[in-house]
Amino acid sequence: MRTSSTLSRFGLHLTLMVLVVWSILPFVWTMQTSIKFTRDVASKEPVLWGYDTTGNAYRNFWLDSDPFEDGEASLWNVLWYVVAVVAVMAFFGLMNRRGGDGRPWFLGYLVVMGAHLLWIADGIRFWPVAWYLVLVGVIAYLMRTREEWNPKNWFIGGVMLTLWYGLWRFPKIWETESTYEFLINSIVVTVLTMLISLTIGLLAGYGLARYTGVSGAVILIIALGFRALPRTAFVLPYFFGANRVDQWLRDSGLSDWDFPVIDFPFIDELQILDSRLGIVLALVAVNQPFTIWMFRSFFMDVPKELEEAAMMDGATRVQAFRKIIIPVMWPAIIATGLFTLLLAYNEYLFVRVLAPTEWTLPVAIVSLTGGESSRTITEAAAASVSITLPIVLVIILFQKHLVKGLGAGAVKG
Amino acid sequence: MNKRTFWGFTVPSVAVMLSLMVVPLVATIWLGFQRLTLRDLQNPEYIGLQNYRDLLSDPEFWAAARWTILLVVLVVPIQMILGLSIALLLDRVTRGRSFYMAALLTPFIVTPVVGSLVYKDLFDRGGLLSWLYEVVFDSAFEVTADNVRWLIVIQLVWAVTPFAMITFFAGLQTLPEERVEAAQIDGAGFWRQLWHVTLPHLRTLLLFVALISIMDMYRVYDQVFVWTGNRFTDAHTLAVYNVRTATAFDIGRVGKGNAMSILTVIGIFVVLIPFLYRSYKDQIEERT
Repeated sequence: MRTSSTLSRFGLHLTLMVLVVWSILPFVWTMQTSIKFTRDVASKEPVLWGYDTTGNAYRNFWLDSDPFEDGEASLWNVLWYVVAVVAVMAFFGLMNRRGGDGRPWFLGYLVVMGAHLLWIADGIRFWPVAWYLVLVGVIAYLMRTREEWNPKNWFIGGVMLTLWYGLWRFPKIWETESTYEFLINSIVVTVLTMLISLTIGLLAGYGLARYTGVSGAVILIIALGFRALPRTAFVLPYFFGANRVDQWLRDSGLSDWDFPVIDFPFIDELQILDSRLGIVLALVAVNQPFTIWMFRSFFMDVPKELEEAAMMDGATRVQAFRKIIIPVMWPAIIATGLFTLLLAYNEYLFVRVLAPTEWTLPVAIVSLTGGESSRTITEAAAASVSITLPIVLVIILFQKHLVKGLGAGAVKG
Repeated sequence: MNKRTFWGFTVPSVAVMLSLMVVPLVATIWLGFQRLTLRDLQNPEYIGLQNYRDLLSDPEFWAAARWTILLVVLVVPIQMILGLSIALLLDRVTRGRSFYMAALLTPFIVTPVVGSLVYKDLFDRGGLLSWLYEVVFDSAFEVTADNVRWLIVIQLVWAVTPFAMITFFAGLQTLPEERVEAAQIDGAGFWRQLWHVTLPHLRTLLLFVALISIMDMYRVYDQVFVWTGNRFTDAHTLAVYNVRTATAFDIGRVGKGNAMSILTVIGIFVVLIPFLYRSYKDQIEERT
């Protein structure tokens, strides 16, 4: 009995391993292609060993031009920067933990400064960096004798400084012509789509779960019908409509209007076609049916008594919703958010048709890697890996929520 | 909740769906009756049913429709069976479950176009599978107009199976332990247990996954486009042919494309209406 159960367990794991290989082998193969030497890639028999450890393919894909040309800021500078700051912070933390007497901060500061001097040598403008160094120095000095001066806080401080510096530098990076722009597009589109889609979906899901009138049912069924429609039924009228709207915006002079707040990073010129705005609108729309169904089924699980009790105590419905319901809905928001993330980040058709130049990463990768030469093969592989890894990591991190979400959305829907 | 509060909560979402789904759909219908080209978007001209007549006598349209339906018929059953089997396996495993889950989920997460590019890598010159093919059959493997359809099927099965798997797995988690134990005490073997206990429990889920998969396969665009591009136009599905018709550089016939969209929509609704009707009745019942 025992042996047979061990055996069957072995068989079970073996089968699962085979399936695992089946599902990740293509990706693993691409990963190793991405770090191969270009001369080996197109050879008839795969060259299994011999890898290009400099990551040239990645560099070629992400940066069209030489990263340090003309002293332009580049992804590499930022990466170096992050690495340097984190290393210094870790070093500080370790020194402090060993019972340092507060002197090592000066040493660390020297290291940070050295790193920045290297940068300056690389042609980054001097003054921003100098100001930044002064700031780091002041903060380090202020924290010299404080109790909070522990590894955790140093780490947090490092991250904050990185962000601060990054915000300052990023507009510069945006101006450089490279694939990096498409990453920014992808991030902006994904984040905006998630924000808008989840906000209005959450509200509607709540209303639909609590209201018992027939109009609720009608909305739900129509939404379900829309969920089934092919994208092509929307993308063509969007294209046509966006054309018309843009024409109107240009004629009326609205397109040159400067938006005081949102103008800065997101929108250069008000238009629908070939802008992030248009893509976000389209994605929010096609994501709505799914979002409201998903949220509704989660809200059905939240007992009515919860907010009714709060409303008895004098809270309005909106207050009850905000203070009582939202906090218990976080798992649902995360689950729905993950699906929205997948939808927005992975979208290809809408972006390709609606945005001839403002690509997001999926369109960029298909358009930029069409060639057949061995150099583009490694580059395509590098591109595939680098645009997929982040999202795979995010989803795997939140895997449990995803399973729960599918369970909740599906079992009742 | 009273009507006013309900509309207060629902209005943003309904407004978005109204303006960006209902209106475009109506626009699609209207555009389907116009002669309209990409080059001259400003001047639609009403031509009645001409676009539809064009389409119905267009052999490429029928070929695309046949291929799309074949794709649905091939991929969905394989996906369901494979997904259910993997879910059952995963359900029995305790150690390392999250590892298996993560690895098996990967194809679902990977950007669709990247999934196809990655598969192309395997089959292209210098790829692992094309090399194996050469070792076994002693002739070079090349992606051709004939075999690209099979490659598409293989890759799509790979890409969509995790969705079925994870949904069925989530469903299996809600299967009451007692029912399984009762079946075991009664001496039911694996198959009888599957047939009499597990599958009835998963009934709604099976229907749900089947519908979603049929819908998604019917409108598949990304993967097929990457595999075929402008090289293997024979293997274009309805969606790809549709977009190609409407947005082909310089010769895009937007009117005809919209007419095709409408035919596609009608096609999927034939399958969907019984289901929608049933859900509507469920909804009404829930409310009374």
